[in-house]
Amino acid sequence: MPDRVDGPPRRRATLDDMEDPGSVLTGPVVPFPPEPDEPETDPSEAASGPVWRFLLEPRWLAWHLFAVVAVWGMLWLGDWQYHRAVGGNGLSWAYTFEWPLFAGFGVVFWARTIRDEFRARRGIDTVVDYAPPGQNLPGGIGMQQVNELAYDDTDDEDLASYNAYLAKLSGKTKALSAGRKAMTRDPGHKAITHG
Amino acid sequence: MRAAALRYRVMAYITGVLIIVVCFAGIPLQIVAHNTIISNDVATVHGFLYIVYVVFAYILAQKLKMRLGPTILLLLAGTVPIMTFFVERWMMRTYIRPALAAEDATTGTAQQPVAR
Repeated sequence: MPDRVDGPPRRRATLDDMEDPGSVLTGPVVPFPPEPDEPETDPSEAASGPVWRFLLEPRWLAWHLFAVVAVWGMLWLGDWQYHRAVGGNGLSWAYTFEWPLFAGFGVVFWARTIRDEFRARRGIDTVVDYAPPGQNLPGGIGMQQVNELAYDDTDDEDLASYNAYLAKLSGKTKALSAGRKAMTRDPGHKAITHG
Repeated sequence: MRAAALRYRVMAYITGVLIIVVCFAGIPLQIVAHNTIISNDVATVHGFLYIVYVVFAYILAQKLKMRLGPTILLLLAGTVPIMTFFVERWMMRTYIRPALAAEDATTGTAQQPVAR
């Protein structure tokens, strides 16, 4: 039984990445199997489900606490600068408006981390593999492109069928190159040989 | 991505230089010579350019899918003297160059079967 080649670490992608799927997907594409227990629901409906409970995890509570303290601190500094400005320090007027701006930015930052986590947990986001397909690695280390190299899968039926499957998918993908709408999460299909 | 990285780097160098001027020229001058020209004016300019820095750095962090901790480090780097430059180097090494390389790679051909 051949080992699955471990891919590079995956990162979450946002919907922005899907504007031009061709620019981010590197390999043959297959429809991702539909999640059995997740029917097509309205996202706002899903919000009332238990998804939000991650917000009560300790690390998220710590993040909320940090956000509250930071925003409160920035507003306090703005207030302090306001009193200095009123007291005659003209330069403080600049900071009087600057600190609330930073506080507002902090709120936006905090809110977006939560929004992104919701999206990721509901599977709205896709997983996109940003790593280049192996060609930056020096020869002999890790994975290599083998389009010119000989590789032998004749002694392994599973391997041969998997590589044939990949070749088929690759052909299909090229044929579909224009109308890729059902774009999905798994860009990298790596053929496997014995190590 | 390339443009976002460039915007971030330009602002990183500007805020990085300004804060060094403030801390290592302006404040000594204020303390020793009671001359507040540098510390007041340059500090105010730095304050406003730091807003621009934060916006550009945050946009870049979103594009690079950076995690929370590194993002906060990146944003705060504009306020600590000298650290801005180290963080910029670290950003290039850890995030920007790999992301640009991946971007270039994806514009190439579809992935071929690989062996190891």
